[in-house]
Amino acid sequence: MFKFFKTIGILAFSILLVTGCSGPGEIHEYSVSDLEFSLEGPLFAGPNSEQAEISIDIADALGDAYVEGMRISDARLKSATVLPNDSLGFDQVNAFVVSFASDNEDISMQEAAVKNPLEEGAAQASLNVAPDAELGEIMEEGKVYVVLDADLAEDYWDGNRDFKLNFTLELTIK
Amino acid sequence: MLRKLTFLAVSAVITFGTLSFDLPQKSEDPGDRLVGIWEPSNGRSRIKIDRIGSKYYGRVVWLIEPNDADGNPRTDINNPDPDLRNLPLRGFRMCKDFVYQGEDTWSEGTLYDPNNGSTYNGTITMSDNNTLDMRGYIGIEAIGRTDVWKRLKMPSRKKK
Repeated sequence: MFKFFKTIGILAFSILLVTGCSGPGEIHEYSVSDLEFSLEGPLFAGPNSEQAEISIDIADALGDAYVEGMRISDARLKSATVLPNDSLGFDQVNAFVVSFASDNEDISMQEAAVKNPLEEGAAQASLNVAPDAELGEIMEEGKVYVVLDADLAEDYWDGNRDFKLNFTLELTIK
Repeated sequence: MLRKLTFLAVSAVITFGTLSFDLPQKSEDPGDRLVGIWEPSNGRSRIKIDRIGSKYYGRVVWLIEPNDADGNPRTDINNPDPDLRNLPLRGFRMCKDFVYQGEDTWSEGTLYDPNNGSTYNGTITMSDNNTLDMRGYIGIEAIGRTDVWKRLKMPSRKKK
């Protein structure tokens, strides 16, 4: 009987030790500015998509606060804003969606922000972020694909449409 | 002499012009044959498949009924995440994360049914260059459903 309680005690102590050491982690903001997207024409009415690649280096982001072995345990999108990057502005744009993906076969793409519909005459579009979209595994991969979908009201044959994206992530680092 | 040269020049243009038209489009990756616009068997939508990084994704680019009963563009009202129910259905990525496995098969991806908000495991098999067998299943692949999708040609610009 004593042996049984001793085993349970050791087990409970080990669990406490592991969870106690792992802790909740520190939250750091990570911002990306002026990420450029050029939707190559001809473009058809409806959704048009473009991707950009970013790499997240937490050692670089944390600077002196970085300790060897630190990793991203969770990431959430805090804000995302799309700006026009050509003279056409948001003409004929109905909606924007921002998603994140990685090359890892086990990690699925995540939609993280949407603006639908876009306000008429807006100079910039502040997207509604999905706070429950878990981006930690994608960001942990280092190489991340940021995908911008722009829904157009009409066909556009006369060239490209250019946009810029600014976004901020909340990274939980352990 | 001049007539001979002209004849040779015209022959060369015709020959090489024809050759360049007949050459198939070069693809960087054999998996890229999946890229294109596809129509499911019910003909109610069209899906464009693109590559993002090393994986393949398909999004809705056309719907037979793009608007809801109130005349507004349909959104993904059944999305399990309430914050994403405002996603436009036209543009929604219903095929995600497919990886080319060789032998005309793409797997490891998911298929989303916007009618009920459910996500299924998926396997895509290309039975010929213009036909896909899209298999959706939960758990065991043997127990699932297959739909046949046909490739659509890209529209060309109408001359004004």
